Amino acid sequence: MHMKTTTMSFRNLILSFPRKRESSTTLSFRRRPESRIFYLSSLFLLTFNSLSWAEEKIPVFPTTPVDVYTIYTSLAVFWLAIIGLIVIIKMKLNEIERIQKLGIDKENNEAPMLK
Amino acid sequence: MIWLKCKNWIEERYDIDELKKLAKSKLIPQHRYDFLYYTGGITLFLFILQFITGMLLAFYYIPHIDFAYESIIDIVTKINMGWFFRAVHHWGAQLCIVFVFIHLFGTLLIKSYRKPREFLWVTGFILLIISIFFGLSGYLMLWDERAFAAVRVATGGAGALPVVGSFIKIFLRGGTDVTGDTLTRFYAFHVAILPVLSLLLIGLHLLFVQYHGMSIPVSLEKKEHKEEPFFPNVFYKDMMIWLVVLGIVVTLAIFLPPEIGKKANPLAPPPEGIKPEWYFLFLLETLKLFPGSIFGFNGETIAIVCVSIGIFFFFLIPFIDRKSNRGEKSPVFTFIAVIYLIYFITMTLVGFLS
Repeated sequence: MHMKTTTMSFRNLILSFPRKRESSTTLSFRRRPESRIFYLSSLFLLTFNSLSWAEEKIPVFPTTPVDVYTIYTSLAVFWLAIIGLIVIIKMKLNEIERIQKLGIDKENNEAPMLK
Repeated sequence: MIWLKCKNWIEERYDIDELKKLAKSKLIPQHRYDFLYYTGGITLFLFILQFITGMLLAFYYIPHIDFAYESIIDIVTKINMGWFFRAVHHWGAQLCIVFVFIHLFGTLLIKSYRKPREFLWVTGFILLIISIFFGLSGYLMLWDERAFAAVRVATGGAGALPVVGSFIKIFLRGGTDVTGDTLTRFYAFHVAILPVLSLLLIGLHLLFVQYHGMSIPVSLEKKEHKEEPFFPNVFYKDMMIWLVVLGIVVTLAIFLPPEIGKKANPLAPPPEGIKPEWYFLFLLETLKLFPGSIFGFNGETIAIVCVSIGIFFFFLIPFIDRKSNRGEKSPVFTFIAVIYLIYFITMTLVGFLS
């Protein structure tokens, strides 16, 4: 009989918060049900309010790890491409400047023409 | 082979060689301030980027009070790469305004506005105002509570101007308050009126640059300086800088995508600690300096009038600075330019930190 009461109380212990400290076998809600309603409603209100106050964040960036990995990798490749293009343009520019310094970029109008 | 055929086809019809000669004949002076020439090119590049990303966003954006906010959430969360193009558009706009300011203050400090380039200054100045209005109108497109409050404050501030204030306010808002009509109106400004105006002014600005050639600072005008052809030398340098700027915009878009707040509620009070976009901060901090009432007059009206006079004086500098127009050094206007620059930076920083 005692064992049964203990098992019951353990199950109800979780289901019926709060219970009186002085009685381990008897559940408090049987004695004072309004106390349980008060605590549970307070808990509900607190939780509800805190959730409603929390600012809803709209994801402005993909959240899945695969997408994030792909984006960062693409960014690295993009920068490599930019650097590569800059190097190519700079080489081309150096070549143009070299030709300009030599003065062979201008058309010589007085050059003899084959007739 | 196809390329050669196309080239021949065009050359048979148009005198390409003349255009090439014209491009090669344009010379750019080389001196210690020549980096300022590139700021104009960067601004142009960012304008082009804004046009492209803006067109892509316009495919999915719905300019209606009930759907605007939701359509942006859809762009960000459902449309493939939508978040990226929105972020690029946002950061492109920020950098565009930064470079417009740098270009403007650069022009002011090296006195590029002096005779005969006054109209270059005028078109550039109007382009700055258009860029800011682009920013403000684009900001409302989001229709979140921050954008709503910012537009309410900005249009309300314009309303404090004497005589024309209430007309400007009602014209901008499409009514007495910020409503769905304001959203539609700002959308029309953002995607139709301002792009057309800015294209015309950019064209005119570039035409004036070609006509007058590049300006040389007064201090270096009489000294010997080298020149290099615009095409291909400076064009290639522009390309390299544009690539770096594109990289910066994309990196910012990925690491700092713009947030979306709560949907605007016209009946709700403005949220606390709200701040406008950075380019309005100096204006807001200036308004804070003025008390509510000065000798019985409305403090806000006096503040707006003072700011308007300051901006108008800034606009008139090329016509007032006679020494520069004569090709002489003008330290007074250099000092005025420095004061404007320090004031703008300080007030913007104060606005950020307060």
